[in-house]
Amino acid sequence: MMRSFRFTRSAFVPMLLALVLLLAACSSGNGNEKNEPPPADSSNKPSPTEEVKEPTPEPDDGLYSIEDFSNVKKNEGTPIENGSLTFGLVSDTPFEGTLNFNFYSGDPDSQVLGWFDEGLLTWDESYVFTNDGAATYEVSEDGRTFTFTIRDNVNWHDGKPVTAADWEFAHLVIGDPKYDGPRYDSTFTNIVGMNEYHEGKADKISGIEVINDKQLKITYIESTPSLLTGGIWTYPLAKHIFGSIPVEKISASPEVREKPIGFGPFKVESITPGESVVYTKNADYWRGEPALEKVTLKVINPTTIVQQLESGGVDLVDSFPVDQYPDNAGMSNVEFLGNIDRAYTYIGFKLGTWDAEGSKVVPNPKAKMADINLRKAMWHAVDNDQVGKQFYHGLRWNATTLIPPSHPEYHDSSNPGLAFDVDLANKILDDAGYKKNGEFRTNPDGSELVINFISMTGGDIAEPLAQYYVQSWKAIGLNVNLEMVEFNTFYDRVGANGEDDPKVDVYQGAWGVGIDVDPSGLYGREAIYNFPRYASDKQDELLKKGISKEAFDVKVRQGIYKEWQQLMVEEIPVFPTLYRAVLVPVNKRVLNYAIGDGTNVYLHQLAVSQDKPFVAEK
Amino acid sequence: MWRTVARRMVIMIPQIFLLSILVFLMAKAMPGDALTGLLDPSIDPASLEAQRERLGLNNPWQVQYWDWITKAFQGDFGQSFRFKMPVSDLIGQRMMNTIWLSIVTLILTYLIAIPLGITSGRYNDTWADRFITGYTYLGFAAPLFIFALLMLWIFGFHFGWFPTGGSVEPGMKPGTLEYVLSKFYHLLLPALSMALITTVTTVQLLRSEIIDTKQKDFIVTARAKGASESRVYNRHILRNSLLPIAAFFGYEITGLIGGTVFIESIYSYPGMGELFLSSISLRDFSVVTALVLLYGAASIIGALISDITLSAVDPRIRIK
Repeated sequence: MMRSFRFTRSAFVPMLLALVLLLAACSSGNGNEKNEPPPADSSNKPSPTEEVKEPTPEPDDGLYSIEDFSNVKKNEGTPIENGSLTFGLVSDTPFEGTLNFNFYSGDPDSQVLGWFDEGLLTWDESYVFTNDGAATYEVSEDGRTFTFTIRDNVNWHDGKPVTAADWEFAHLVIGDPKYDGPRYDSTFTNIVGMNEYHEGKADKISGIEVINDKQLKITYIESTPSLLTGGIWTYPLAKHIFGSIPVEKISASPEVREKPIGFGPFKVESITPGESVVYTKNADYWRGEPALEKVTLKVINPTTIVQQLESGGVDLVDSFPVDQYPDNAGMSNVEFLGNIDRAYTYIGFKLGTWDAEGSKVVPNPKAKMADINLRKAMWHAVDNDQVGKQFYHGLRWNATTLIPPSHPEYHDSSNPGLAFDVDLANKILDDAGYKKNGEFRTNPDGSELVINFISMTGGDIAEPLAQYYVQSWKAIGLNVNLEMVEFNTFYDRVGANGEDDPKVDVYQGAWGVGIDVDPSGLYGREAIYNFPRYASDKQDELLKKGISKEAFDVKVRQGIYKEWQQLMVEEIPVFPTLYRAVLVPVNKRVLNYAIGDGTNVYLHQLAVSQDKPFVAEK
Repeated sequence: MWRTVARRMVIMIPQIFLLSILVFLMAKAMPGDALTGLLDPSIDPASLEAQRERLGLNNPWQVQYWDWITKAFQGDFGQSFRFKMPVSDLIGQRMMNTIWLSIVTLILTYLIAIPLGITSGRYNDTWADRFITGYTYLGFAAPLFIFALLMLWIFGFHFGWFPTGGSVEPGMKPGTLEYVLSKFYHLLLPALSMALITTVTTVQLLRSEIIDTKQKDFIVTARAKGASESRVYNRHILRNSLLPIAAFFGYEITGLIGGTVFIESIYSYPGMGELFLSSISLRDFSVVTALVLLYGAASIIGALISDITLSAVDPRIRIK
């Protein structure tokens, strides 16, 4: 069956999931009872000219709300000619330098790439491919065959046109058995003939046809709505440059590492490996000549980000540690943009094991956490609203369902999840027969109940937060043992390699979700990342329907995922704890900038209103 | 003497060999591998498994070790999984940064230590001495990474006298004078931060040596023969007191390795220390093992240098 949960295709910066997971502890929470997600209008669909609200710098209660942030920079002043700006890539490690969309694997590299290269298709605020990009597309009747047309004025930085052959070439390289990057996934395996080519049985991919210089036809095995939300590979690979290099040598070649090429708004002028890149404008850019003359990208350490911003050392950064926001909300020379992160934190229950032979989950009805009442009580016992307020100043907030509000079309805001209610939690456990024996409850059969809980280290908040959950469960009489483990150990024990540690009963994790809403990669029966090892016929049916042909109708698809969100609230293989905000500070001299998807603000419009960055007033 | 050096070199081989086994086993004992962090549901676990097979991660450790060590002997440390380039190229790229940082740090360390140590030892129990020993106590107490952050904040951000990250101004052409100057400018503050802390051991050592030496009988004799005070200090006391400092030189190199790991990550200075830390957390084994081996060899060679310098400056000592 097809796996098509997309993690990573964001507007111009695909992100590495591992890094998202590392984010474990940051800051946020709004916390009104209803958990109404911000309306789509204010947070996901701003147009560049829209009037936007000023974020309130210092709320009375010390709490912030994502609703007070805009994701589009306010424009103050007029653009100057030949301006330049400095972009801070926040990372405690240098970027790897695999500077090609077809090969890179780390998020830092994708940040570097986003300035000089782009995909051929763009998408709107619902993450659906549009016809506004460097190429347009048409879908056949049966929804399986896509015909793409690349615009005539789309040229590589060396002046050669971007052709259909380049696009096909990217597929040929990624599908090659000797390919050493991380891109060969369901996007490719869903193409007709890809499997034969990957196994070396065919020279070409039968499902890909170059019609002429500018037109390409790709036929997919299954037609699903996921194809339109990131299910197509849109990054061509310059055949006139890479065609002569053996596939396994491309990623280490100077054409990737030292003189990378793209067709984006800026050209790479020079690279200091791992630390900085200087770009100049690509006057021949297909959307029009960029407004900025020069962009300098430099890696800055997360520990010094505030000073860099205050002193004007950088004009904007790719991300800002949200836990530092409350202390710096009043920084006078920047505007903070905000958006809802495509991610959620959750508590998972181990309900079975992974069958490596059959590649599927095997639920175990006798698992320690198999009783739904126990899981329900544990959800009712925690007050995530307060967690968001106390630990994250409102910049993370109570999560209700497993589709975060970053997908406003599919997030069911009318579903309240399970509310914090200690009395109800106690009652559920009493009714289910978990009797108190001293301080703690026993199993209904009278045996001792000790629950093992693991959580990831990282950041100052990680441990206190996990302790809070332990205490909340203790308050309803559950004996929970906490163990804090490091990232790699955590996913090893939870079962990322299929060998689940039987000593783990409950765990706290986080997922960054892709632009496609289909959750089968995380919860499907055949998904190794279905860490709770939960499966049910009802869920199988819903997940299948969600990527069926009928689901091309958005209304139908919304209904299906609404039902799935409710099913997860009833069955609780995992329960979501927090949604989160992303904040990005931008110097006040920067014009035409936005974060998030489908904003219609493009990098070639980026400009500055004065020569030097504003410096913070103390 | 040369025989000694040769013999020490020969002993080095089994030492490094042992170190390599140890390093390799410890690296393998870490949970997870380079592919663990790649939690991406759109990638078929079967293709991850195929990659593991291709990288040899499924082989028993002795097979993996043999593959690795035979290649390492030919100077091939394998491919970095994260950087997708040969480990030797990667380290080569970073090593020069670390070496320059270390050299400047060493020079600064001695530039600070020798005058301070002499002043402190010669005029012990004066205010100048108390001031200097006060500084050394502070230096002992202050953790390097806190001190470095403080320096960065004060001189980098507050006064803006120094650049605050990277090893060179973006966009400079390698080979030009401008480029060299920019490199030096960038490593001055990190080197100074490290030198100010690491120098305190040397200052203390020099001070106590001088105080010790100046009470020795031969100094009394020298004075009795009517040697001037400056001659007594420069020719008799200082020479003898510098011995342990010279001996310490090799170990100083080892100490720098630990220091650069912190300094490089605080100053976003792309050197080996920074590479080492990030490779551990991302389980880029080939880089980790190569670096530890390199560090191990550097420490062993450092100790050797110490012994050799000691025998060179002090004719009484002859290592056999």
